[in-house]
Amino acid sequence: MTNASIAFTTAVPTATELEPRAAKLSARNLAFHYGDFCALKDINLEVPEKRVTSLIGPSGCGKSTLLRVFNRIYSIYPGQRASGEVILEGENILDPKYPLNKLRSKIGMVFQKPVPFPMSIHDNIAYGISHYERLSKADMAVRVEGALRQSALWDEVKDKLKQNALGLSGGQQQRLCIARAVALKPDVILFDEPTSALDPIATGKIEQLIAELKQHFTILIVTHNMQQAARCSDYTAFMYLGELVEHGVTSTIFTKPTKQQTEDYITGRFG
Amino acid sequence: MQASAPPSPAAPRLLDNIGDWLFRNIVAVAGWFVLITLALAAFSMYWGGREAFAEFGWGFLVSTEWDPVRERYGALVAIYGTLVTTTIAMIIAVPVSFGIALFLTEVAPGWIRGPLGAAIELLAGIPSIIYGMWGLFVLAPLLGTHVYPWVDEHIGPWPILGALFRGPPLGIGMLTAGIVLAIMVIPFISSVMREVFLTVPNRLKESAYALGSTTTEVVWNIVLPYTRSAVIGGIFLGMGRALGETMAVTFVLGNAHRISVSLLEPGNSIAASIANEFAEATTPMYQSALLALGFLLFAVTFVVLSIAKLMLMQLKKREGN
Amino acid sequence: MATVAERLFLRRRIVNGLSLVLSGLAALFGLFWLVWILWTTFTKGVDAMSLSLFTEMTPPPGQDTGGLLNAMAGSLMISGLAVLMGAPIGIAAGTYLAEYVNHRKLGEVIRFVNDILLSAPSIVLGLFVYTVVVRTTGGFSGYAGSIALAFIVLPVVVRTTDEMLRLVPIQMREAALSLGVPQWKVTVQILYRAAAPGIITGVLLALARISGETAPLLFTAFNNQYWSTDMTGAVANLPVTIFQFALSPFAYWNKLAWAGAFIITVFVLLVSVTARYILLRKKMSHD
Repeated sequence: MTNASIAFTTAVPTATELEPRAAKLSARNLAFHYGDFCALKDINLEVPEKRVTSLIGPSGCGKSTLLRVFNRIYSIYPGQRASGEVILEGENILDPKYPLNKLRSKIGMVFQKPVPFPMSIHDNIAYGISHYERLSKADMAVRVEGALRQSALWDEVKDKLKQNALGLSGGQQQRLCIARAVALKPDVILFDEPTSALDPIATGKIEQLIAELKQHFTILIVTHNMQQAARCSDYTAFMYLGELVEHGVTSTIFTKPTKQQTEDYITGRFG
Repeated sequence: MQASAPPSPAAPRLLDNIGDWLFRNIVAVAGWFVLITLALAAFSMYWGGREAFAEFGWGFLVSTEWDPVRERYGALVAIYGTLVTTTIAMIIAVPVSFGIALFLTEVAPGWIRGPLGAAIELLAGIPSIIYGMWGLFVLAPLLGTHVYPWVDEHIGPWPILGALFRGPPLGIGMLTAGIVLAIMVIPFISSVMREVFLTVPNRLKESAYALGSTTTEVVWNIVLPYTRSAVIGGIFLGMGRALGETMAVTFVLGNAHRISVSLLEPGNSIAASIANEFAEATTPMYQSALLALGFLLFAVTFVVLSIAKLMLMQLKKREGN
Repeated sequence: MATVAERLFLRRRIVNGLSLVLSGLAALFGLFWLVWILWTTFTKGVDAMSLSLFTEMTPPPGQDTGGLLNAMAGSLMISGLAVLMGAPIGIAAGTYLAEYVNHRKLGEVIRFVNDILLSAPSIVLGLFVYTVVVRTTGGFSGYAGSIALAFIVLPVVVRTTDEMLRLVPIQMREAALSLGVPQWKVTVQILYRAAAPGIITGVLLALARISGETAPLLFTAFNNQYWSTDMTGAVANLPVTIFQFALSPFAYWNKLAWAGAFIITVFVLLVSVTARYILLRKKMSHD
């Protein structure tokens, strides 16, 4: 049957250990087009609350496209459009009437390439907050510290908050970007291949961080690294050529996939 | 830390939208302003020159008359001088710039490329009036006393070609103007060509070197074919610059209102006539004639620059691939 | 007995050597003239240097004393105002190109037209402002001069702003937008900050460019023998002063012309070097 050669740590709970959770985000009949090209076909996916769900699949399968639908970042590019529904707390976030900044305060995003803003470490984090709240300097400092602690970066930067963020290492910059997203206290955080630009040690730290963050946030992560998906996520969704082929509990997907395509990908017959 | 409900951003939303709308429209107006500027510039000179065009018609382009007293004007002397000085400048500047660009990208040792390239770019920024002054006070007297008499005596008597080099050794004249123009345009064309040569992907050159090619062969067989249109574009760009150049030429051209075959004689160019005579153009027709000249210059440079841009764009498209 | 391959190889090496020598000679040739010009400007300029340049006004013809104070002051005013007028419009237009119409046809058209303006003869721009401003207001003015120079500043700043903004990685825009910040704030607060060194460099290069421009001023600000800070009338400026003084037969005027040429050259070189230094520092801090 399947080749259980993909090792995963026992930290990932099996199907029997996971408490069932309600879906925080649901995609229903979601389709996406780049101009005339249909990149996503009829996606139906439920992202459970306060769990880590990973999207895996070969290049071009649409996993990043799907991720980017959830915070409507595609809206700045002409010719890109989505149809269908994505439900968050009972509302369809794809509805043009749903305000973008409300959406982005509830759903944050961390990108593949760490992009600190050209300002000090403190200002990087304060920037997003200051758009929503008027805080005194003292209150802001507390929020910034909180976000940095949550991203496991505080100890490394607490003495250099006024320094330019560009002086940090790649892994630190990425944790800064995570702190930036976390500072807005969103419900969901989207990660688009967050460690593919980082070395293995930095990658390990981020994966550890994700495991801690899921206690407070719903996490959806796109990764081209199957082992990472097996290590970090509670649920996995496998995509191929714009379709959602299979999704379920990670351990099940990796040991007893129901679709042949899934099995082929997992065992490395293609990808 | 608890993930409490985020603050409601309903209020900022309206301000955001207004801000976006306002900003977008302000920058759009600025963008369109660029287009309007060009259109207005062309139109205003045509409008200013309309009396001259109406009065002289197409004859304006071929008449050598330039008589402010009788109010009869023709552009041919100026056009001739512009073309001659530009041609001389290009004949000298193109091979030299080429050599410099090649030197900077292929020949020079690594440590010298950066500083030398920067030096050339700085030199390209020197105002043209400096070149003009140097031409008037240094080059012209030098040529007039040491070089031109020799040329007049030894090349002057030659059949056909000699006619170009016969004449009183004034020092100022079309040849001197052409030389000054060439020197001015060299740093400019060199830096454009150098940038163009730098776009050739290293792997292309490396594969040729790996086959045992010499530097010259790599340049001749790889770099040049790859950048051919862009090099031509760069030349056209320099030509556009030379055609409209005022100060480098006005000092040493001589402001003579006649066409002479000999390059040692003074002449006139469109830009130089306008610069020299605008202050004295008191009648409307005189001014209109000068503005008409300006329009001609604008039209010609517009065509030359457009060709240059189109050729340079071809390289950019390839770069994108 | 050399084989065919060896003979061929020798010939190729000779050809190669010749071409390399030729290109080296071309480089020397080009540099020789430029060094000579700079040397002349330097020596004649230094020779004409004196404190009176900065304390006295331009003298009438034939007088043996005098300076360039009014010309320098006038140039500073005219150039300063030109940058103040042209740079903001240029930055705005460059933003429009990079952020709003980047891959659209309109963007291509504006960039094309902008490049034509960039390389257009400055005398043409001077005539343009003459017909539109000087004729309608009835006379030469410092303002007209600034407007003419502003039209030279504009395309330079548009181009550098456009290019510098496009160098900022897309992810930075997306990261800021993902925080819910509106597009205009992203551009003003994040992108401008990221591209600031480049944009400033563009403005400085534009300043260097207009500092030596004579032709546009001939028809707009013209010149003024006296001290004048009234920009509604003709204002003294360095380039036109040099032009008039150099072409005159008066020796002292010629000397002043060289002094002025030297001052302009030094100013242009200083500004250009500063501009490139700013860009170099930014490049190095990112590596």
